[in-house]
Amino acid sequence: MPRSGSWAPPRQPDAILGRRVIETYHLSKRYSRGVYALHDLTLRVDKGEFVFLTGPSGAGKSTLLRLLLRQERPSEGKILVGGRDLAELRTREVQEYRRNVGFIFQDFKLIPTRTVFENVAFVPRVLGVPESQQKRRAFQVLKWVGLQHRMSAFPLDLSGGEQQRIAIARALVNDPALVLADEPTGNLDPDLSLEIMNLLREINAAGTTVLVATHDRELIRLVGRRTVTLDHGKVVELS
Amino acid sequence: MRALGFFFVEAWASLRRGRTSTAFAVLAIAVALFVFGGFLLVTGTLQRVLDTWSRAAEFSVYLRDDVSADARSTIEAALDRSTLVTGREFVGKEAALARFRRDFADLAAATSDLAENPFPASYEVRFRPEAASSDAVDALAQQVGRMPGVADVRYDRQWLTRLGTAVRTIRTIGWALGIVLALGALLTVATVVRLALHNRHDEVEIMQLVGSPIAFIRGPFVLEGILQGGAGAIVAIVLLWAGYAVLQARFGEALGAIIEPGAVSFLSWGQALVVLVTGAAVGALGGFVAARTIR
Repeated sequence: MPRSGSWAPPRQPDAILGRRVIETYHLSKRYSRGVYALHDLTLRVDKGEFVFLTGPSGAGKSTLLRLLLRQERPSEGKILVGGRDLAELRTREVQEYRRNVGFIFQDFKLIPTRTVFENVAFVPRVLGVPESQQKRRAFQVLKWVGLQHRMSAFPLDLSGGEQQRIAIARALVNDPALVLADEPTGNLDPDLSLEIMNLLREINAAGTTVLVATHDRELIRLVGRRTVTLDHGKVVELS
Repeated sequence: MRALGFFFVEAWASLRRGRTSTAFAVLAIAVALFVFGGFLLVTGTLQRVLDTWSRAAEFSVYLRDDVSADARSTIEAALDRSTLVTGREFVGKEAALARFRRDFADLAAATSDLAENPFPASYEVRFRPEAASSDAVDALAQQVGRMPGVADVRYDRQWLTRLGTAVRTIRTIGWALGIVLALGALLTVATVVRLALHNRHDEVEIMQLVGSPIAFIRGPFVLEGILQGGAGAIVAIVLLWAGYAVLQARFGEALGAIIEPGAVSFLSWGQALVVLVTGAAVGALGGFVAARTIR
């Protein structure tokens, strides 16, 4: 089990993103032929919250995460993170913004040609962090997720659960104020899913805001956090 | 320095991963620069030959058999007055015949049957090397050619001009061919780097998602192009040197009899540097063309 290391998710000061971490106002995303992936979405996530985003396939969960990662821009309305309108950010500002956001994907998005350690250290490395710090941070988060003994292995030699833990370690290595997870347990069995959720809960307990998109209702019930249900791009339930 | 280290490590790893495609790109650049360097070598040699021959250029003033002493004095005075002329030598009819018999021993017997000496007397005029290619020498030749007692003026500038034109034409063809081949090499590098980019799509995506500066993402791909270009240039220079050494060994002696030994030499350090920098620049451009698709 993880959490054996000295590293722990850092307490996030309000100064990084402010009290209101995510705000959307009448947010819409329309694709070609006028199809709405998100329609008139108004939502608020405060600092330190753990929020589930759920709904059937095509509900707009991944679209909202892509907008939050600033991979796309809204068609209408506004999306703010830490009070900053993401649509207004220039290229350099997008880069700075993303350094404060950790991401976790269903398919892990690990680099198969690099070892576990290199995958995690890759983030500080491409941000120009000195090598000694890269190594220290990577080792600490790997220890925290309980995979320090698999540092030299390659991702494809590991189980799905282990791969997702590496992805979590990579998401945390830069001490982000916001973690976005898109179906992080989609490829895992129920036990491993709960294990991953426990890791995310620990990250959240330290003050990091966590937004998890999942269609796994049972997992949501077990974890028991605020849930926003989307359908056809609209909020249909808040619980 | 940290960024450069990162670029180099990533570029080197990518080159090693795509060995075959890298080899193609290096070969394409090597071919382009081999042609370009080859033309530099040939035109450089021809230019040196041209310069040497231009320095040794002279014109000959052939006199009519019935030239008077006064006319000869006038001609000599005109030549001596010219600031272009550094010296003149009178070659009499008998001396001209003797020179022919000496230089063309096989034909010497034919001249003994002639009723009279057919070779005209002449002045061989040498002029300052820097004036060799000037129009003033042309003007002097024309002026002397119109003087009484002068049968003809032969000036070897005409074929030197033709040789000069030929050198310029060859150089232009070399540049044109070099540019076309360099463009081809550039496209090859761009394709190979784009292939590398495609292979590392996941890494690039992660770099973008974690907010890596765009220069950090593009840098390794541009450096990959530079390394391919530089390697191609080195291969081209080595091949040129090998070709030059083989030709020198086989034809050096024969060439030495026609032209001065110093005229034939390999690319200078400066020219080799131009070839190297051109290769690296073509590679950098190819890498940049591919990497600029990353936004």
